Amino acid sequence: MIDVKNLSKSFGDHLVLDNLSEHIEEGEKVVIIGPSGSGKSTFLRCLNLLETPTAGTITFDGTVITDPKVDIDSVRRKMGMVFQHFNLFPNMTVRRNITLAPIRTGLMKKEEAEAEAEKLLRRVGLQDKADAYPAQLSGGQKQRIAIVRAMAMRPKVMLFDEPTSALDPEMVGEVLEVMKELAREGMTMVVVTHEMGFAREVGTRVLFMDGGHILEQNEPQAFFAHPREQRTVDFLSKVL
Amino acid sequence: MDLAQLYETWKAISVSGGDLTWWQDFFVKFYQAFIEADRWQQYLEGTGTTLVATALALLMGVILGVLVAMVRTAHDQQRPGRRKNPVLGVVNAVFKVYVTVIRGTPMMLQLLIWAFVVFKSRQYTLVGIFGLGINSGAYVSEIIRGGLMAVDGGQMEAGRSLGLNYLDTMRFIVVPQAFKAILPSLGNEFIILLKDTSLLSVISGQELMYFAQAIGTRNYAMMFPLFGAACIYLVLVIIFSWLLGKLERRLRQSDRR
Repeated sequence: MIDVKNLSKSFGDHLVLDNLSEHIEEGEKVVIIGPSGSGKSTFLRCLNLLETPTAGTITFDGTVITDPKVDIDSVRRKMGMVFQHFNLFPNMTVRRNITLAPIRTGLMKKEEAEAEAEKLLRRVGLQDKADAYPAQLSGGQKQRIAIVRAMAMRPKVMLFDEPTSALDPEMVGEVLEVMKELAREGMTMVVVTHEMGFAREVGTRVLFMDGGHILEQNEPQAFFAHPREQRTVDFLSKVL
Repeated sequence: MDLAQLYETWKAISVSGGDLTWWQDFFVKFYQAFIEADRWQQYLEGTGTTLVATALALLMGVILGVLVAMVRTAHDQQRPGRRKNPVLGVVNAVFKVYVTVIRGTPMMLQLLIWAFVVFKSRQYTLVGIFGLGINSGAYVSEIIRGGLMAVDGGQMEAGRSLGLNYLDTMRFIVVPQAFKAILPSLGNEFIILLKDTSLLSVISGQELMYFAQAIGTRNYAMMFPLFGAACIYLVLVIIFSWLLGKLERRLRQSDRR
């Protein structure tokens, strides 16, 4: 579904991603872990071109999205993204946050989008927050709304950029629960996270990144039980 | 005895070299400044022109300011590593020169140049309004640009990641947030503009200051006309500050917890 070939990204002289290639199948739940500065967020942000790769190609659903002639907006409509800092729109109600994109991009009519928002909000247990503003919500609620907002575009893949890193410990659970449910429904997911429990439980594949490379990857049980690289062993010994 | 007679009597004493008590003198000068020959109508007319000039210059300034700020922000936000849009580059450069020149020279000088070098027209008030609008646009564009840049970059990313295009993201997400943030500065600019209309008097634009000076010169008594004009400006500014405060409170609705 997503095919990355020889992807490099540098900011000025600083090489963040060094010629990496990876393939993500439909239905996979890929979890990316690694120390900070390893390039995992940059890798994720390259997948929907929030960062423009310096070199290499990314193919999504048969379209080479790194081609400058591609209409990137229509590609992004099929790729949901959830951010570390939620990035809800503070000037709109929750309902409008969710329905803005489906309506403006012509995906749904107003009534349809609002019904969809209602349905999604009920699923995450926040149906009574439709008319609230983001400033009135807790971090966990904001992140659940952010997931709903991305889901409202009916994406084919969901990208999560450290979705629980900015949350109070108490609120991590409620967000992970929503993500687990998404995974159960068969959504293709790429998740950058520090939640090893989530990686083990939900992931179908774990990628360990360091220094702009994918150093090691495996299915979760084997990855955590028998890491092959010394760097991975060091990292896991610190976080587990 | 009515006021007009009282005025004539005391003025006659004053003119023939007699002494008036301070309050008689006060009355005579006040009467001369505001009541004689219905001069208060001139202040009213001047105030009207001042308000119209402010409104037109503001409108022009905001339209120009939005245009310049949008182009300059769009230019600065072009994705790095891709070929830059050449048209945007040229327009951006022109706007940069515009902002630099306007902010770098005194407004009075600009007005004199518009009136006596560029247009050479006798429509001094209109020319003055034009000059004010051009001037205001440069300042407003910097205020708006600052506001747009102050909106968290994550907002643009979130909008774009949902598949909204650049203009929609600006229109629904970034601009409304920027507008709320810059409203106090815009209000300040508006108040400055209101008072700066007084500079139209140097090119014979017939606004409040022009009439106040004309009346003062005619009577050889500047104090009352100047104080009168000052009071009118002050009252206008107080009214507009109050209205702006109301608008700000209304826009803060989404911040409530």
